[in-house]
Amino acid sequence: MTELLLQSLYSGALVGGIYALIALGLSLAFGTMRIINLAHGELVLLAAYVAYTVESRLGVNPLVALPIALVVVCACAAIVYFLVARLTRYRELNSLMLTFALGVILTNAMLMIWSSDIRSTGNATLQDAVQIGSVYSMVSELLFFVLSLAVAALLGWWLSRSWYGRAVRAVSSNRDAAKLMGINPARVELASFLVAGILATIAGVAIYSSSVISPPLGHALTVKAFIITVLAGVGSVPGVLLAALLLGITEAMTVTLFSSALQELAGMVLFLLVLFVMPNGLFGASRRRG
Amino acid sequence: MHNKPGIRAKTLLTIGIAAASFGAQAEEFMVGAHMPLTGAIARSGTAFNEGIQAAVDVFNRTNGKHTIKYVAIDDESAPAKAVAAVEKLAPQGAVAIIGGYGSNIIGPASDAANRLKLTYITAGGVGEELTKRGYKTFFRVNNTAGYQRATETLLKEMDAKSVSIVYSTKEATAELAKAVEKDMSAKGVKVFLHPFDPAITDFKPIINKIKLQDKSEVLMMSAYENDYVGILRAAKVLKPPVKSVIGMWSLAVPKMASDFPDLMPSVIGTAMLPYPVEYQNAEGKQFAETYKRMFNKEVDYLSQFGFVKATLLFEAIARAADNGALKAGGLSEELRKTDRDTLIGRVTFDASGDNPNFQQRMGQHDNGKIVIVSPASAANGKLKYPSVPW
Repeated sequence: MTELLLQSLYSGALVGGIYALIALGLSLAFGTMRIINLAHGELVLLAAYVAYTVESRLGVNPLVALPIALVVVCACAAIVYFLVARLTRYRELNSLMLTFALGVILTNAMLMIWSSDIRSTGNATLQDAVQIGSVYSMVSELLFFVLSLAVAALLGWWLSRSWYGRAVRAVSSNRDAAKLMGINPARVELASFLVAGILATIAGVAIYSSSVISPPLGHALTVKAFIITVLAGVGSVPGVLLAALLLGITEAMTVTLFSSALQELAGMVLFLLVLFVMPNGLFGASRRRG
Repeated sequence: MHNKPGIRAKTLLTIGIAAASFGAQAEEFMVGAHMPLTGAIARSGTAFNEGIQAAVDVFNRTNGKHTIKYVAIDDESAPAKAVAAVEKLAPQGAVAIIGGYGSNIIGPASDAANRLKLTYITAGGVGEELTKRGYKTFFRVNNTAGYQRATETLLKEMDAKSVSIVYSTKEATAELAKAVEKDMSAKGVKVFLHPFDPAITDFKPIINKIKLQDKSEVLMMSAYENDYVGILRAAKVLKPPVKSVIGMWSLAVPKMASDFPDLMPSVIGTAMLPYPVEYQNAEGKQFAETYKRMFNKEVDYLSQFGFVKATLLFEAIARAADNGALKAGGLSEELRKTDRDTLIGRVTFDASGDNPNFQQRMGQHDNGKIVIVSPASAANGKLKYPSVPW
């Protein structure tokens, strides 16, 4: 039983790492512009498909696709931003509909380009098993878990120490005051969307390297990211990491201790529980002014 | 004097002959279909659709009288969209509907077809409930019992003492898993069930339970393509001490071997055909040639199912049109008269629309080929057992 639980904890944490990569981008955009980008999952998936294309055409490790995927996904993220930025009335509701529509367009574009077939990396190294004590994982899962911790740390540093990072926090806190202080909110919001695009790219390559992708996956990723963002609380990077790990472990433990048929239910129950007990999320920030 | 009764009789006779000949004239009939051309089960829907298109081509070339116009609507692997597709096709003049894939989609879609009094035929819905609704319009060429028989025959030939069944909680996969469990348990085989939500992507916790708790001889997957890949990847990492891996539909197909060559060696799945396919009869050869010409690839068992169900429907439409029953709503009764040898064996339809003759076979991946290994009477190669992909 101990071995079972250890493997469950380990697998859950690894999956949580990938969830964190997916959710960080959504959380950043939400924190800065108070916009839920319902096309975020599709951006992640787009990066995965770019990785697939590079691997299948060039026969190289999908990690090599990162630079190309970054360009493609960040360009799409910029387009999403420019469209959303044009909304002036009922922004929160209209942005939901707009980004949902963009998500549908992206899904169908990916379907037309890459067809409905399921895809997964054939790279033997990434699929190799790694054993640490009595627990096992794929090389790709461990690699991207470590990367997710590094990315979260880097993002935290960027938000707290870099000029643009502090500007993002300022705009998130009080847009008008930030403007008065000489910060260009539009430029900062674009920067946050681009950073969200970078995070989505890393997440997409991670998913392609360790799992199976198909065009309808984007929607499920957005929902997962949204749950984690709400669990974490607005504007908290450590919160996203913790919430993602919590979700991953909850799901894995449910499978091990109860039934795998209850995995998704367990995630939703956790979501509702946290909302009831801590409505602002685990590390929720205070309300934005302005 | 004019013979008025005589003229009247001749006139009536002429009109009668004209009316009778009108019913037997060449016509084009529109047949609609809802198919998962996108979404999670799109690979299967696409294969079905291609088989149907091949059947349309063959029928239109060979019938010599009637032609079929085929209209397929993508149901996006979603039940609601399948229903919408049926409701859209009915007023467009469809005389019948060919169903897509997945019992959870076939159910609602065939409900809609029945309401609209449209004959509905499928090869993608094996759930038992589908033929218990009392619909006279519903027909299917395969069923869970056929898959169940094939699986149990294989397990018996392996002399397996224990089986772990990992199954999706969708209707058909769950039904099959439970049916196999019930039968095999009654025969003294230890069976462990592991249901999973279709949204799951990480199967390591389940496989670990199989490895550490079940310790069974055979790993059986009752699921769909994306699940198979996830389960096999998890099994490659954890290496449970099983002797064989068996799956159900859409697994023993050449595309899985080409897309996932590291995962398929020695994996067994249901397959009516070996690969490469070599048909011995004229109908099979015609199908293979047509398919190759249209799609530039070899047939697989899914496209074969598509071809068979479509061919049976088109033949029934032609018969019904010729005997005047089509316009009177007699297509279902005409289809029920089917008794024919096809590429999947003999097909007849009982009162509930089921084909009681259906018997699947099991194929094993072997170096890019698919070898039929069970039942022994239909095998064209030796079963590799014990043998797993890791």
